This record gives sequence, C-alpha cells and structure tokens, in this order.
Amino acid sequence: MSTRMWRAVELAMRSVCCHTHRSRPCVLPGVLAPKGPSGPRGVLMPQRRAYSSLDNALSSGPGRPPPPPGTPATSRHHIGDPALAQLVTQQLGPDLDDGKTAIFECNPGPGVLTQTLLNAGAQRLVALEGDEFYLPYLRELEGCHNGRLEVVHCDYFKLDPACGGRTKPPTMTADKLFTDLGISEADWTDDVPVKVVGILPRVQERATLLKMVYSLFERASVYRYGRIELFLFMSESEYLKMTTRPGDMFHYRAFNVLCQMAWDVRLLHKEPWESFGGTSARSSTPKKGKGKLPNDHLCLVRLCPRAALFSSGLTPSNVPSLLFMVKQCLVQRKARLVHRLNQLSPDSGSKLLSEMGMQEDILTGQVHADEYRRLFELMEQSPDFKDSWLAQAVA
Amino acid sequence: MSLLRICAFSKSLNRCSLFERCGLRGLRVDHCLTTRNNVVRRISETPWCLQRRHFSPLFPKTVEGKKRIFEQSQLFEVLEARIQQLQSDGILDVQHAKVQFLQTPSSAQGLTSGKGPKRVPWAEKLKQEKKKTEQKLQKLKNVEDKPPSKSKHSKGRLKTPGTSLKTISTSVSSASPASASPPKASASPHSTAAPPPKASASPHSTAAPPRKASASQHSAAPSPPPVSPHSATSSSPPKASKRKGKGSSGQGKSQSLTDPKELAEVEDAKVQFLQTPSSARGLTSGKGPKRVPWAEKLKQEKKKTEQKLQKLKNVEDKPPSKSKHSKGRLKTPGTSLKTISTSVSSASPASASPPKASASPHSTAAPPPKASASPHSTAAPPRKASASQHSAAPSPPPVSPHSATSSSPPKAIPKSGQSDSQRSSKSKMTESQGKGSSGRGKSQSLTDPKELAEVEELESQGKGSSGRERGQSLTDPKELAEVEELVRKVNAQLSHLTASSTNPEDPKGDSQQNRYILLSCLSYLETCVFNGQVEHAHRFLQSLHRSKKRQHLNTEIHNIMMRVWAKKGALNQIARVFIRLEEAGLKPDAGSYCAALECMGRNPSCSPQVISRCLSRMEEDSLSVDDLLSQGVFHRDERDMVLKAIHRVQPDYQPNVSASIATCSLPLVRDFYTKRIDHRYPKLAFTQKDLQERFSQQLSIEQACTITIDSVEAHKPVTEDMAKMRAILAEQRTQWRKELLQVLRERKMFLFNNINSKDHKVPKIYPYLCVLDDWEYVDIMIQSLAKLPAIGESLTFVASDLGLQIYNKYTVRHKYHNKLVEKLGTVYSDYTGLLAKDTKVHDVLPREHWCQLEMKHSSGPTLSGNLTPWPYIVTLELGIYLLDLMVKNLKMNGNILNPGHDGKLIPILYHMYTYRSIKQIGFIKPHPILAQMHQRAVESTSLTFDSYVMPMLCPPLPWTSSKFGAYLLSPTPLMRIRWVGAIQHELLLEKCENENLHAVLDSINQLGNCAWRVNKPLLDIIISIFNDRGSEKLDIAPPPLEAPKIPHIRYDDPAYTAAEKAHWKREAIYAKKKCSEMHSLRMDALYKLSIANHMRDKVFWFPHSMDFRGRTYPCPPHFNHLGSDVTRALLVFAEGKPLGPKGLDWLKIHLVNLTGLKKKSSLQGRLEYANSIIDDILDSADNPLNGKKWWMDADEPWQALGCCMEIANVLRSPDPTQFISHLPVHQDGSCNGMQHYAALGRDVGAANSVNLMPCDFPQDVYSGVAQQVEEFRARDAEQGVKIAKVLEGFISRKVVKQTVMTMVYGVTRYGGRLQIEKRLQQIDNFPKENVWEASFYLVQQVFSGLKEMFQGSREIQDWLTDSARLISKTGSTVEWVTPLGLPVIQPYHRKRVVKVKNDLQHLTVMMSSDATALPDTVKQKNAFPPNFIHSLDSAHMMLTALHCYSAGLTFVSVHDCFWTHAPSVDIMNKVCREQFVALHSEPILQDLSNFLLHKYCHGILSEMKNNKYVAYRRLMQVLAKVPATGDFDLQQVKESKYFFN
Repeated sequence: MSTRMWRAVELAMRSVCCHTHRSRPCVLPGVLAPKGPSGPRGVLMPQRRAYSSLDNALSSGPGRPPPPPGTPATSRHHIGDPALAQLVTQQLGPDLDDGKTAIFECNPGPGVLTQTLLNAGAQRLVALEGDEFYLPYLRELEGCHNGRLEVVHCDYFKLDPACGGRTKPPTMTADKLFTDLGISEADWTDDVPVKVVGILPRVQERATLLKMVYSLFERASVYRYGRIELFLFMSESEYLKMTTRPGDMFHYRAFNVLCQMAWDVRLLHKEPWESFGGTSARSSTPKKGKGKLPNDHLCLVRLCPRAALFSSGLTPSNVPSLLFMVKQCLVQRKARLVHRLNQLSPDSGSKLLSEMGMQEDILTGQVHADEYRRLFELMEQSPDFKDSWLAQAVA
Repeated sequence: MSLLRICAFSKSLNRCSLFERCGLRGLRVDHCLTTRNNVVRRISETPWCLQRRHFSPLFPKTVEGKKRIFEQSQLFEVLEARIQQLQSDGILDVQHAKVQFLQTPSSAQGLTSGKGPKRVPWAEKLKQEKKKTEQKLQKLKNVEDKPPSKSKHSKGRLKTPGTSLKTISTSVSSASPASASPPKASASPHSTAAPPPKASASPHSTAAPPRKASASQHSAAPSPPPVSPHSATSSSPPKASKRKGKGSSGQGKSQSLTDPKELAEVEDAKVQFLQTPSSARGLTSGKGPKRVPWAEKLKQEKKKTEQKLQKLKNVEDKPPSKSKHSKGRLKTPGTSLKTISTSVSSASPASASPPKASASPHSTAAPPPKASASPHSTAAPPRKASASQHSAAPSPPPVSPHSATSSSPPKAIPKSGQSDSQRSSKSKMTESQGKGSSGRGKSQSLTDPKELAEVEELESQGKGSSGRERGQSLTDPKELAEVEELVRKVNAQLSHLTASSTNPEDPKGDSQQNRYILLSCLSYLETCVFNGQVEHAHRFLQSLHRSKKRQHLNTEIHNIMMRVWAKKGALNQIARVFIRLEEAGLKPDAGSYCAALECMGRNPSCSPQVISRCLSRMEEDSLSVDDLLSQGVFHRDERDMVLKAIHRVQPDYQPNVSASIATCSLPLVRDFYTKRIDHRYPKLAFTQKDLQERFSQQLSIEQACTITIDSVEAHKPVTEDMAKMRAILAEQRTQWRKELLQVLRERKMFLFNNINSKDHKVPKIYPYLCVLDDWEYVDIMIQSLAKLPAIGESLTFVASDLGLQIYNKYTVRHKYHNKLVEKLGTVYSDYTGLLAKDTKVHDVLPREHWCQLEMKHSSGPTLSGNLTPWPYIVTLELGIYLLDLMVKNLKMNGNILNPGHDGKLIPILYHMYTYRSIKQIGFIKPHPILAQMHQRAVESTSLTFDSYVMPMLCPPLPWTSSKFGAYLLSPTPLMRIRWVGAIQHELLLEKCENENLHAVLDSINQLGNCAWRVNKPLLDIIISIFNDRGSEKLDIAPPPLEAPKIPHIRYDDPAYTAAEKAHWKREAIYAKKKCSEMHSLRMDALYKLSIANHMRDKVFWFPHSMDFRGRTYPCPPHFNHLGSDVTRALLVFAEGKPLGPKGLDWLKIHLVNLTGLKKKSSLQGRLEYANSIIDDILDSADNPLNGKKWWMDADEPWQALGCCMEIANVLRSPDPTQFISHLPVHQDGSCNGMQHYAALGRDVGAANSVNLMPCDFPQDVYSGVAQQVEEFRARDAEQGVKIAKVLEGFISRKVVKQTVMTMVYGVTRYGGRLQIEKRLQQIDNFPKENVWEASFYLVQQVFSGLKEMFQGSREIQDWLTDSARLISKTGSTVEWVTPLGLPVIQPYHRKRVVKVKNDLQHLTVMMSSDATALPDTVKQKNAFPPNFIHSLDSAHMMLTALHCYSAGLTFVSVHDCFWTHAPSVDIMNKVCREQFVALHSEPILQDLSNFLLHKYCHGILSEMKNNKYVAYRRLMQVLAKVPATGDFDLQQVKESKYFFN
C-alpha cells in the first residue's frame, strides 16, 4: 500500500524536479529515497545468522526467499538533487548533443540525472540499471524519448564476472552489452567512444577500481571498445588515496601507481554525502577512521585513459610483467629501487637508474608512475631481460 | 498519540534510572566481593588497575579519592627511591635479611602481583589507624602483664627485645579484628549487630561464633575460660608476646628509633595493619560486619601515616642482607622494627583485597558469597591468615599442614634490593604476624584444615547469603532487598545444581598471557643454560626482574638458574636466587629445594646444619623429602646428589617409592580398573630380545633426526645430463656451504657482541643459534634448498620449517645431554617384559607397568624431562633469520649452464610477494636456473624425512602423563593443536588430575600398541600403476606427464579475436591449477608409497595422539591407517589369528561392505550376495589388472581387492577355520553423530533410523533421506520446476550422504551445497551447466528432509548452541569434561596479530586461539555441538578400546570405524554396544549442564554489573534447562546388531 503511494509520490516528484533547476534544494533526496514501511530489505534488517545450523537448516524452509516485489534489491546512493544532476551534466561536456559519444549512466535509480541529461540534449544515453525495482520507471521514460534513451538491465560494475560461466542479468559480459548496443571495437588512440557516469558501489570501491584498471591494462572487457572515459562519484578518501603523490610512504602504493599510470585523474566536483539519497545504511555516516584521510564528500572524478599508454612499447602481452614489477617494487616503499631492479633484472639496476637520470639511492616510494612505466620499457628493451626470472615467472 | 508516547518514554526513563540505581548498589557490593576473589587474579594484573578497579567505587567522590591516592603514591615513590638507594649501596645486613626472609612469605603472594601501587591502600589505612593505636597500646600493656609463653615454633625470634615489640603489635592487631578493638566495633553499630543475626540465621553460625569467641577471649580478656584447646593455646601467646613487647620495646626503640613512644606508635599502626589480615579472615569466616570500623579508620588515620612512613623509612635504611636460610632470624633488635613493617605489608598483599573491602560496609557482605562461589578463594585466605598468625605468635606449634605451608613463605629470603614498597610490606608483614597471634584464637580454630574445610563448605552452601544480608543491613535495606531476593533465588537454584557437581574449577586462568611470556623466557633461559652461557642467562634473569615482565615470572624460571648454580656448587648464588624469588613474591617449590640440596650434595664441605636448615624450611613449606623426590624433575645425576645431601643429615633415609599410583575413579571405568581378574591383556608376537633389538633400531633412527629412504619412482638410468647436473649441484653446494658457514659465524659474532643491546633491530636469538654446531645449521639450510619447489613457497612455511628442524635436533641433543637416553633404554628393556610373548603374564596396563618401572629405576634423570617447547614465534624468528642469510648470501654464476661464458653472479633465492585472495604474503622463490638444475638432476630417487614421519619400529612409549609418551626422542604433544599459540589445552591437561586421564591415556596406548605390516602383493600392484600412468579412477595420482599442457597465450597475434584470447587465458589458468593439484597429489602418493615400500618387510607401530576433543590420530602424518583407501589397503595387522568358525563369513561381509552395495540387506543377505559372486572375487584376486576387474567398481576398490585376495587364500587353504588371517575387518557406525544425538535424546524415531533399535534389516539413514528428497523432487517436477526435472534419476544415496552425515556436525547450507556440487560433478552424464542450480536445489531438499526426521536431536543441538553462545557472550570460552574425564576447551578466539620484525620482512602472525583474547562467539557456538558430539564419540571409542584390550582383542579405530580381526568381530561388536549403553547411561547432558553452571555461573554475584547480570541470569536459565528426553530404552542397543555394521 504505502509502497505504491511512495511510487506515486516519486513519479510526481521526478517530473517536478526535472523542470525546476536549482529551485528546490536538498529536500528531494530524502523524500525520494525509498523508505516505505516495508523498508529496504537487508539493510534495516541485517541478515540474522541463525545460531544453529541445524536450526537454520530445518526451520527456515528453502533458501532465501526472492525479494518481495516493490522494494529495491540493493542499497546504494542516488543522485536525487536536480541541482547536482545539472552540475554533473555540465561536467560531462558541452558536446552532449553531437551524438558521437554515447553516455552510459550506471544505476540511475529514480532517474533524476537521466532526465536532466535528456533535457540537456544528450543524443545517445544508455541507462544501465541493475535493480529490477527501478526498471519500470526507466522503461516508461525510455518510451517518451524516442530512441535517445535506451534502458538495459545490467550492472556496469559487475560486467565480466571473474569466475566466468553463465551470466544472468544484471550480470553481463561487455561483449554482449556492446554488441547489443551496436558499438564496435575501436583503437586505443581513437576518440572516446563512451562516457560512463555513475556512483561507485560503496562497499567495494577499491575492488571495483582495481578490476577496472586491470582490464584497462589488459585492454579487456569494455576497454576493447576504446578508451572509455569514466565520470565517477567515489568517496573522498578513495580519491585522495588514488592521487597520492610519490613520497607519501604510507598511502603511495601499487594501486595508486597503476591508476595514475592508466588514467588522467581529475577532480571535477566535491559533494557532501548528505546530498545523496539512497538506501545505503551508511549513506549519512561514512566510516571515518581515526587519523585517516578526510572522507566527508563524494568526489566526482574524471578518469580518462591515457592515449599514450600503449604507444611506447607497452602491449597487453607484457603488461603482466609491468604489473608484477610495480607490485613487487611498492610492497616495501622504503626499499632502494636499485635493489629491487637488480632482483628483477640481475645487475641492471644502476644502469637503468642512470639512464633514467635518477639518484642511486632513490627509494621505491619516491618514483612517479610515469617513471615506472619508462623504467619498465627500458628494462624490457635491455638484452638481459629475457634471461631474467621476471620474464619467466610471469609467462 | 505522541503525548502518550512521551509519557511512556519518561516512565521508561524513570524505570531505567531506578534500575540503574539498584544496579549501582549491586555493583558496589559486587566490588567488595571481587576484591577477595581477586587475590589470585591480582597476580597477573597490574596492581594499580586493580586498586582503581576495586577501590574506586568505594569512594564516591573520585576526585578526592584520586588525590588521596596520588599523595600516597608519591609517598611511596619516595620510599621506593630510598630502597633503591639502599640496594645500590649493597650493604648487606645479614641478620636483618634473615628476619625478612622469614616474614616475607605471607606477604609474598599478595606481593607478586602487586608492586608498588597496591600498597597505596595500605598507606591510607596506616594513616587512619594511627589515632587508635594509642588506645590499643594501653590496652595491650595491660594485657602484657601476663607472663609470656615460649614458642617453640618461632625459634630464635623472640629472643630479641625488638622482636617482642612486634609480637605485641601482633597481638593487638589480632585483638582488634576479633573483638579486641572495642572502639572500632562500637564505632559502627552494624558490626556489633551483625554477628548475632548471622549466627542464628545460618548453619555457619555454629562454626563461626566459637571461633570469634576464642579470638576475642584470648585477645581481649583472660576472663572467659578457654573453651577449646585451641583458644587456650592461642590466648597464652599473645600475652606473652605483649609482655616481651613491653620489655623489649625500650630496646627496640633504642636501636632503631630513639624515641620509644614513637616506636610504640609505629607499632600500633602496624598492629592495625595486621588486623586487616585478620579481619579478612574474619570475613571468610563470616564475621564480615566487623570490618565496618575499618572504613572509619581509613579516614581517621590519614594524618599519622606520614609520620609512620618516615619511621618506616628509617627502619628501612638498614640494608637488608642476604640471609642464609632462615636461621637466626630475629636476633637483631633493629631488625625487629623492620619485621614489623614487613608484616604490615604482608598483610596487605596477602589479603590486600579484604582490607579494601573492609573499608566499606559492603565488604563484609562480599567475601562470603565469594567464598561460597569458589571454594578456592575460600581456601586461600584462611591459609594466609593462619600463616600470619603462626608467624606472629611463635608459641603455638604449627597445628596443621596449612599453617606450616603458610609459614614457609616467610622463609623466602628477602632481597636486599627490593623495592621499598615490598620492603615496607614485609615489615608490615611481620607486624601482621605479631598481630596474627592475637588473631590466634581464630587462627587456631581455623588452622585445623578439616575445620576450615567444613566452615568453607558451610559457607559456600549457605551461600554467603548471610554476608549479603549484612551488607544490606549496612546500606539501604530496602533497595537491596529486591536484588537480594533475585540473587537468592538464583543461588538457591545454583547451589542445588552444584551440589552434585564434581570438583570446582579454578576461575579460568588469566595466567594464559603470563604463560605465553613465561614460555618464551623459559625457553630462552633453558637454551642459554644448555649452551653453557651461564653469565648471560644470569643477566637475562636479572633484566627480567628489572623489566615489567617481572610479574610474569614464576618459580620454575628461577629453578633453572638454581640448577646451573648447583652444578657449579655455588651455594651463595642459589641463596641469591632464593632472595629473588622472595622479592618477586614467589614460593620456592620442589625444584628450588632440589637445586639447593643438589648443590649441598655436590659440596662435600657443606655442613650438615646447612642441610638440615634447608630441610626444615622445606618442611615449613610443607614439602617432604619424599615429595621432593617424586615431584622433582631431575637431569643427569641431580637426584643422586640430592640424596647424598639428605644422607648427610639422615644417613638412613630411604626414598619411599612405594607410593601407590592413584587409580582412575570415574564411574564409567571404575570397574575396569578395579576388577581385572578376567582381563587378558594381549601380548605381542615377539620375544623380549626381539623387542629390545627393535628399540635400539628405532633409537638410532630418532637419534639421527632425519632418515633418507628410496623413492618408489622407478630408478631411471643415470643419463649424462643428470650426472652433469648432479656434479654441478654438488660443487655448488660445497661452495654455498662454505659461504653460509662463514656468514653464519660472522653474524653470530655480531649478535654476540650486541647480545645485551636494547636495539630492536638486533634479534634476540643468539642462544638459539648456538644449540647446534654451526655446520648443522648450514646443513639444514642446504637441505631446505633442495626441498624448495620450483614455483616457490611461502616465507612463513619455509621459515617455520627451518626453525622446527633445529628445534627437533635440539631436543634430541638435550636428551642426550641429560643422560636420559641410557635410562630410557634400561626402563624400556624392562618394559618389553610386559609385551613380549615369552614373559610371564601381567595384570597391569602398559602405563602402569611403565610407571612402576620408572619408580624402580628411580636414580638418574627423570624420564619425562620437561623441556620447554620453543614458542612458535621463536621458531619463526629463527627460521627467518636463517632464511635471510640464505637469500642475501647464496649466489651462483648466471651462466652456470653454459660453461665458458663468464656470467654475473646472481642470487639463487628471491624474496618476493604474492597474493592469496587479498592477502599479500612473502614468498621465497628459487631462481629458475636453480629449479631447472634440480629438475634435471632428478635427485628425487631418494627422499629425506624427519624421523617422526616414519612409523616406529618398536612399540611406542606408553603415555604416562600428558608430557611423556609416543616417540623415544622426538617431542610429541599428547594433544596436537594446529592453531598457532594455543596453549590453553596444555594448561588444562596439566591442571587436570592425572588419574582422571588414565582411561584416556590407556586407550591411546592401546591403539599405539597394535603392530602393523604392509600388504606386499597389493603394494606391488599399486606401485606398478603408480610408475606407469597412474589412475584417477583408482585414486593413484598420475605422473606430471599426464597433466594438461599449459597453452601459450599469444596476445600479440592479431589473427585471434579477443574472445579466443580470453578463452585461452581461462584454459591456461585451469591448466595451471590442475598441474599444481596433480603435483601435490603425486607427491603425497609418492611419500606414502615410498614409506610403505621402505617398511615392506618390517613390522611397525603407529604411536597415537589426540586432538583437543579426544579424537585419536596416529602421529606419522603420511602413511597411516587413517589415510585414503590406498593406504588403508596397504596395511594389515602384523599379528594373525586363525579365522575360526565365523571368520570367513565376516571377511565376506566385510568385502560386501567395502563395495558399498547391499547397504540395506541383512548380514545374511550380504553373505549370500558374496557367495553368489565368488567367481568375481576369485577372478579379482587372481587377475587384478587383467581380469574382469570387478573390484574396481567398489566404493573402496583397493581395500576390496585386498579382501578378495584374502578370501581367495582362505578358500584355497586346507582348513578355512585354521587360516591365519591378518586382514582387519571394519565395523562402521551408521551415521555415528546421529546415533549419539538419538541416544542423548532417547529419541525413538531417530534411534530407529540410525540402528539403535534391533531390526531385521539395517536402517540406512542416507537412503532414507535420498528417498525423501526424491519424493520432493518428483512433486516439484510435476509442478514444473525445471531443475527438478533435470535431476530426474540422479538423486542417489551417494549424492546426499556426505551432507546428511555432516549436518549433525553443523554443516551449513553453503557447505552442503559445495558437497553436493562435488558429487554431481562426479556424475559423468549430469549436465554440467546445471550443477550450481541443482546443488542449490538439492541442499534445500536435504535439509528439509532431515528436518522431518530428526526433531529430538535438533533440540539438543539448539540447546548446545544456545549455551555456547551465551557463555561466549559473557566472555568465557566454552569448556567441558568428557565422561571419560578429558577436559576440553574450544580454542576459538578473536584474532590477535603478532608482529615479527625482521630484516627480510615484517611478518604478521595471526593468533586465532590466543586464550587472552575474547572468544569468537560465532565459532564457539557453531562448533560446540559438533565438538561435543565428537568428544562423546571419542569417549565411546576409548571405552571400547579399553574393554577390547582387556578382552585380548586387537583393536584400532578410525574415529567411528572400528577394526579388528575377523574372528573377533562379534566380541568387538558386543563390547562396542555395551560401552555405548554404558556411556549413555551416564546423565551426560545433566552432567554437562551442572558442569557449565558451576563453571560459568558461580561468579555471578561478584560479577553483578547491571547488564551483565541479566546476561548471566539468562545463561543460567538456559544452562539449567536440559532438553527433555524421549522414551527410547537404551538397553535395546545391546541387541541391535546393525548398530555398527
């Protein structure tokens, strides 16, 4: 009953917000967040583990019942504030309406941003919604915009699951998605074919990012279709970590190096957590470790794959060696780089360093991402490398 | 609406606050209670915390309290400083020291824990009491007019006038607590009022009043006639002492303090201190109310304290000297003063908590309840009290052992260098002693241990409720009333329940953490001593004393040093250690005296007086010479030296070794041990000489630590390449060896030079690097190089393996060093007399026999030499250190394989990182060239194992305690624990009374005594397949050649699409995984077969040990009867037995059982089936590989084949009944876990389906479930469920079996799905794409199918889970005792991370079973039901084993599968059923409930914090509610022939 009411309210609200720009401040998110009495399943009532397995086994019938219809299956943030949606739209670029670049919107949810984008003239918008709950509204919207909007039941962040096997929506392979949409493979140096906008899943931010950066290096998954540009909201701490500069021995890690190597990372906007509606229990109080990085905002970050990444010797076939090298080097940030290099490629450490114009006593944590790439390229060209165990270990 | 709500809210708030208030009250009471409880615990905690914890609630205004404490602590700091000065001065006043020596003991215990801070409360009291002192003094003087009596006991003490002073004080003190201090008593009306009600109220009253009376009498006034002899004696001494006190007071003063008056005051103050202890006493006995005055005093006396303190300091200025043993204690007048101070302190530590308690009226209430709760606590205080008393009053001879013991501690030699606090405390102690005399009356009555015990019992039963009442009366009666009622209810319930329960457990040790630190210190010290680094060991111990680890030290660690000094004959050093002991508040134990006596024995010039003094002190510590000789652990000739010393004093002393061993008294096995007329213990088929011969073979193997055997892999001819590689490797190795040796020496030198540095970068492992010769370390390192697999190995693994090898070698060396091996040989060769066939029949068990023999050969070292095992962290550190050496220093020529080119030197080992899921772990990887060389050299033709990996060549040593048994030299724990840092089991076993373990030990011995040999024909067949191509179907791992090839991925080739590349990648990953799996399977098979091959012509034994639940396992890890079908098939009994009339039938039935067919047929049916296929059987036996291969389709093909061959042999023998059969026949419990549940719940339905009920056909629960599931499936299929249709025809017994079996052990849906998935994968024609869905569907059906079938067992399981959850929530670990007396504790704790820092890599070690951490509730609760059931099935197995042994059967077990010879199956079955009935006839669940209640709920009162209390009550309710049982008649099991089938 109330769910239905809520739906009605939401639909009404949506149409309102789409037409009022910045006139209604942050009231909406709260209202829009589906907080029906049936509640977001699994959030308010965390799965209680039966304390006896036998009890569990015997008393609670077959498996987990399917989610009752009418509630979102996942908990996450949404962009609910039209002002924010507007801002995101602006950041996505002025050329929204030229139609060359498709825009993927991940998990649009109630569709506030979708509506804004369409209003701004986006010619090719694909809404990838992972939650069946929101699909009907989006489909409705799809109908109104003859062809400018496509709705696909798909979770962008779960594309190409690692375990392989059969996939059921919302899990999907990138191949299928792109083929269905009629987007063909492109060279790395071509223009950006797709812009993806969305909010990184709160729970697995780091893992999702890692997966993306790996597939980028391997030119697998979506990156077979060219340089996919990402506009992602991520937590502030994650952003800060990602952009840590060399010299910060604590936060500078292999992950940062890989991200910085692969992407041109640019901060576009910072928005406090409160502005996001959603069913996430943690939405209003993100965890804040003591003495750690600030984490009061979600940051809109543009991750633009570097066009030059594969132009100077790096290929998907030797990428594993690069990844291996970076990881081995940065496990201990206070180790001498020369030692590490000597290990990887016997006795060539000093030579490499001098070629790079680096000090002999430089530490691994002081080397920039680009320098790592160049180091690797140099190392790979050297005749010694073929014998070194690095090449063999990875192969 | 909202208005209403608001109202409700405020109401609830009100209620809350009310409740809180109540709670607070309760809490306070609670604290007082705890104080006493904590005496023990205190030892491990920092006193300061304690003080704060217990004391602060007593002072509502914390600020004030804090301030006060602060002041006091400042004072004490000053004191301490002074003392330190003194120490540094090092002037030793011998006499003085002696005095302290005597007195300290009482204080000692309290002191251990409480360094400085604890004393603070005392200081307060000191101040408070000053005023009163004067009054008392006057009284005292009056009293003192009476003539003094002589005290025999106290010797030399009272000679000094100074001393007398003390005594006086003592008497005063005693007086005060009892009734002597009228002023105090009068001060609080409560106190006076209280005692009478008590008397009337509780049964105690009878006991208590007399005690009080006597006390009061003697102290206060002579008028009341001495009612009891006790009182009489007691009364006299105080007077005497007083008298002296007066007389001597002048002297005492003159010596130390000029002003006699001051002295008097001081004394008074002290006296009061003394009182505290006595008051504590009073508390115990239920006198509680008396303490009230104390609270007042506390405040009053503040001012004076400072003065006193100063005086104290003056006193203390005298440097304490080392005292030789207790002699001439009080000779010096000056000393007396000090002593006084000591006594005070002693009072404080010993009963420190009580005094505090006394401060508040609550306190009175508190102790009694406690007492009731834990018998231990009650026991302790009286002892102390008596100690102080007797010391105080020299006149009364030590009536009881208690008093004696208590007195002994005083002997401990006080160290001159003690901290002031300790000193002061000591001096106080003396005082307390003096006072104690006054308390004497009481003390005496208490001294009698019997009486004490009675009193305690009474109290405990009475529940201290009386005490509580008092407490209430003192506070606000109304509010407390409610709480009290609750508590009483609970208590009534509890007392009722616990009445029947057995021995109460110690409150579980906080000692765990100590224990861990202690272990590392112990092992360090032992290692130093072993290396002869005495100086360093000495310094190490000293530094420990200076560090904060000091509180963790125990006597054992000091004994190590004493031993060393004893060897050197340095008696003065030993005396010093005694002083240290004293300082640390420890009591010397048997080991300490052994060392002292040994030293005297070694020293021919040592005068007999010294020895006798030592002996007398020993007596005071309630240690007899016999105790010494039986309890002590002796190395080498230590025992003889001790005897020598004793003989010098008592020339005709003969150690009394005839002490009979206590027998196990558990109801289950009482008859087994007492009635053994019918028992016929089996003998081994060997002569004694033969066995002795085997012993020496085994000894030589273990001596070498490692053994190299031939691999079964076909010996390939040595090719040119192989020869070349081997040559290169050999050359390299000599090179590496040289380098390592040099580096090791350098590094050791460096470590040696920095051995005392505080730098954390210098690892503290020098001693561990000296236990072996340098070259041995190098050898171990080089060996590890060859073991390293080409793909590398995790750093932790390599390092701990290295460390472990060194440790193993060290233990063996240690045993030789202690001359233990010779003695072992002697005892063992006698022991073989029990087992050999050519000796007389014994009616004793192996363990008993061994113990007798050990007693007979008592001279020389003790066999169960307790070498402290190196903690895991140490092994790890050592291993990493060596690994670091290797990584940094081992190099080879990069072009070594292409001679001629001079390449650069490259390291051969790499330290890198790899990722396991999300964890980043250190990894050691050999350079590919090295790996290649190893591969090409094919050195795997021989395998090197640790000696304990092999089965034993002689019968294993019988387990005689948890520390001795199994292998001859290799250390083996009785309980093997795979968790790092879990020591709680060992502690538990140590604590457990040995005779309760007898049944467990005996059954393990019995399992280990079974001789085995290899089934040679089968071994040959298996090896031939193994060396051919293996066979996955027959579970013979194929060689690597059969592994899939890893496809090479060509990313660059544009000819392939992305999809193809992705596919390749997946293939490659799969192939890699498969390869590594196959490799490990292959190696596993290789090890097993090689060992079997090595043992081909030998007879061998598997020593056994158990896990923490009592399930038994053979120790050799690879090749044993617990293994797979292949290894089981390879093993047969070494001893054969004629088949007899029914043997052949059993063989046939066994064969059918092995096929897995005919599970539902009767025995007759199976037999008929076997007869019908006799041709197939014979064919299998004759042409296993070329015939019809009937056996290959069996469930257990190899065992089936073995059985076929046996049957063929029988059939072809002239007389089948005379055929000598070696083949074990198995009897398998049908769903054993379920059987135990069914029996526990007396659940008729379940009993029927798991064969507890006699039936014509065996019931098969698995088939039943499968059938049920099939029904569900058919129904669903009709309704159009897709997956149900797919599954048609695939649901079989096999698919569901594992899940059903494990569900009683708590498998989850998740795990169940995995199991079923695995089964489905094995079905060839099942569509693979449906596996996930199908398994998910099936597991649901299986679970709901079971739900219908086993209702009763579910209730029990729920109850167990619930209990465990609540127990764990209260912060305790779940613990129980099996019906066979084995204590079990669940080692699941929250993870604690330990960092091991090292040059190579900082390692974090996760300790998931560190008992100091909080329990992991989820694991505790989930694991409790299965663990409990496992502990039951282990008990059942052990019972069966014992009784089979007494019936002369050969018996071994694989958990719930019992093996014996074919002719004896019937007997075994009978025994098995009888023992099952016997086991379950015990009220198992009720016992468990009682035990848990007793263990976890007795502290309920002292733990009464508001919300905690609720939790406890809930726990209590749950624990008390044992699930109801059904009406299954257990006796029916005896008739059920399919119970085990």
